[in-house]
Amino acid sequence: MTSPWLIGFALLTLYPFAASLYWSFCRYDLLSEPQWIGLDNYQRLATDLTSGGTFARALVNTIYFAVLSVSLSVVLGIGLAVMLSWQVRGRALYRTLCFLPSVVPVVAAAVLWMWLLDPQQGLVNGALQSVHVPAQGWFQSTSAAGWPPDWPADHAGRIFGSKDGLVLMGLWGIGNLLIIYLAALADVPSQLYEAAVLDGAGRWRQFWHVTLPMLTPVVFFNVVMGLIQSVQAFTQIYLVSDGQGDPAGSTLTLSLHLFLTAFKDLQMGYASAMAWGLFVLVMLVTAWLFRTSRHWVHQQPVA
Amino acid sequence: MRNLISIIAAVLITSVVVGSALRTAPAEPSDRQEVVFWHFWGGRDRPLVQEIVAQFNASQDQYFVRAIAMPGSNLDLKFFLSVAGNDPPDLLNHDDPVVADWAHRGVLTPLDELTTADEIGRLEAWLFPAARQLGSYEGRLYALCNGLDVRALYCNQTLLTEYQLPLPRTIEQLDQIAETIAPAADASGRKQMGYLPDPRRLWAWGIVFGGNFWNPQAGEPAAKITADSPKIVAALEWMAGYSRRYGPSEVAAFRSGEQALAGAAFPLLDRRYAVIMDGQWRVRDIAQAQAAEATSGKAPDEFAVVPLPAPAEGRVNAGWVNGNFFVVPRQARQKQGAWQFMKFWSGFSETAQQAAEACAEGGWIPASQSVVDQRVYQQALDQSPLLRKFVELAASENQQPVPPLPVASVYYQEVVAAAQEVLYRDADPQASLRQAADRTRARLQEVLDAR
Repeated sequence: MTSPWLIGFALLTLYPFAASLYWSFCRYDLLSEPQWIGLDNYQRLATDLTSGGTFARALVNTIYFAVLSVSLSVVLGIGLAVMLSWQVRGRALYRTLCFLPSVVPVVAAAVLWMWLLDPQQGLVNGALQSVHVPAQGWFQSTSAAGWPPDWPADHAGRIFGSKDGLVLMGLWGIGNLLIIYLAALADVPSQLYEAAVLDGAGRWRQFWHVTLPMLTPVVFFNVVMGLIQSVQAFTQIYLVSDGQGDPAGSTLTLSLHLFLTAFKDLQMGYASAMAWGLFVLVMLVTAWLFRTSRHWVHQQPVA
Repeated sequence: MRNLISIIAAVLITSVVVGSALRTAPAEPSDRQEVVFWHFWGGRDRPLVQEIVAQFNASQDQYFVRAIAMPGSNLDLKFFLSVAGNDPPDLLNHDDPVVADWAHRGVLTPLDELTTADEIGRLEAWLFPAARQLGSYEGRLYALCNGLDVRALYCNQTLLTEYQLPLPRTIEQLDQIAETIAPAADASGRKQMGYLPDPRRLWAWGIVFGGNFWNPQAGEPAAKITADSPKIVAALEWMAGYSRRYGPSEVAAFRSGEQALAGAAFPLLDRRYAVIMDGQWRVRDIAQAQAAEATSGKAPDEFAVVPLPAPAEGRVNAGWVNGNFFVVPRQARQKQGAWQFMKFWSGFSETAQQAAEACAEGGWIPASQSVVDQRVYQQALDQSPLLRKFVELAASENQQPVPPLPVASVYYQEVVAAAQEVLYRDADPQASLRQAADRTRARLQEVLDAR
């Protein structure tokens, strides 16, 4: 009964894994047979990383995007879920409106946001300027609002750049996370809130000492999944950066760099080494998250 | 009721399936050899391509060309996958600087294997210099150019006249236009610029400034790459002057209006720029815009085309040229059919008039003077003086493509990235170009060592 699954797993998962691992030790351009070169690709990767080369830049961009995306999506997701769980009129409509962006195709969303965030004609800058906030560069700027700040010296206040635009675009589509948080909120036992009220806790303390701890397993799940998805993000980045990581490499993430190296430069061996390096990195971070989870993830006692 | 709905759904689905099956491409004649031709033309060019294919199929009874339109982006990727899968097309049309790279990898059939040395010699003499360079690698022709893409400066003459400015014939006049229409002292958030260099156009300005992106005589491969030579650095310094004048973030923000988004128009038409560098394909956009304005009763702006103005020690009628070219994969099954079609399309095989008609209708620049000289094409140029300027430039020896090196694509991207670093991040031009050149040299050495 499991053989069809095994066949599919072997062909579509196991074989590509094994093949890419072999190619990572070869020089391979898709058009000729792979040539074994040992650890040369990994040495080149290490050199590129330590010398601040393209791989290092792509890694920094990916970390920036992943950290901002995941952290803000957790904060925004929980906040919206709590508000959408209140008993207010039109709650079903609000929930629908919050979920709708997540069903918009990625390409359509990217084109939409490219227009919304146009520095000269976009609605977002128009709204910002109406409240006397300087127009931001968004996808046309190499700025980065987060750390390390990379704000242009020639235009004070223009701090949000291309990576921040990608984060904003990603936050627009957190409807899937909202559903998970809403389901988790519904699972919080009401006796806990009753006990908190009896102890004199107000709404904020109820949220901080009851809601949030009970949500931590779901938060943990979303952090791990969000990390993996943000590292793998490709389509929207490819579209907004003209397929090159523009402007000036500010949106060159590891997934895009890997794609360009493999299929534009025809360095499949080096790209495979990059892919395996990325895999190890994500595994290490995930393992670290699991290890630290016992300190902050609330575990339900086994009955 | 449920049964009725099921029946209606079944009928609809069957209709769609049968209709799709009936709408397939016309069946190829069984007595001919099929030539599979991949191209990326769509929109207003696709009917013209189909017409050319139909004319070829009607002109002989040995081959039947089946044209397949492929999306232009990542066409090289699709091509490589087809080669790796041992099922490539017989003929491919492309426009990226890939001939040298693909020839070096052994993916392409040199054209001298498809015909006699005498015919190849006549073909090389028949082509424009730039068209010949585009298709060559290490002295052999691997691709047949079927149309050149030349860039020049489009000028909104009406707007310049309003500011009492002449057409830019010198670099100083171009700078004057920029400073007059968009003074540096003005506040940011500009809606109009006189002129603004595009990072991708360092390839053009470097040549105009008298620089060379490669030294073909150099013995060592590393010495062939010369992107960090003084005159190219000077070109980038000049371009950086605009970035410093307005501010890198202002320049990047203003450029956003030129994204290739749906609905984004040629920015010269709405006076976003007074002068802009672009290719001959914009001539049709201008003609359509002018016709639309005339129809609505407005007096349309007048436009002019001028060659890229050179500094004192630069080159005249110079620039960066690329174009569309045909290549025959090594594993193609119908190489002779592909060869006959290539010659028919380009006009080399006594079909210069048909080629001229197609180029005239499409607004294309032929790859040979003999097609340009055809009466039908000359008549088209008489009606389109803007296009004539581009055609005159196509014949210039100073129109140069990306160097025919196995790392041409990498080289192109590295130079553009260096220019972006300078224009958008205020990096040092000399340092950026040296790093770009060093990375390209390393990659070139790697590629050569691998073979």
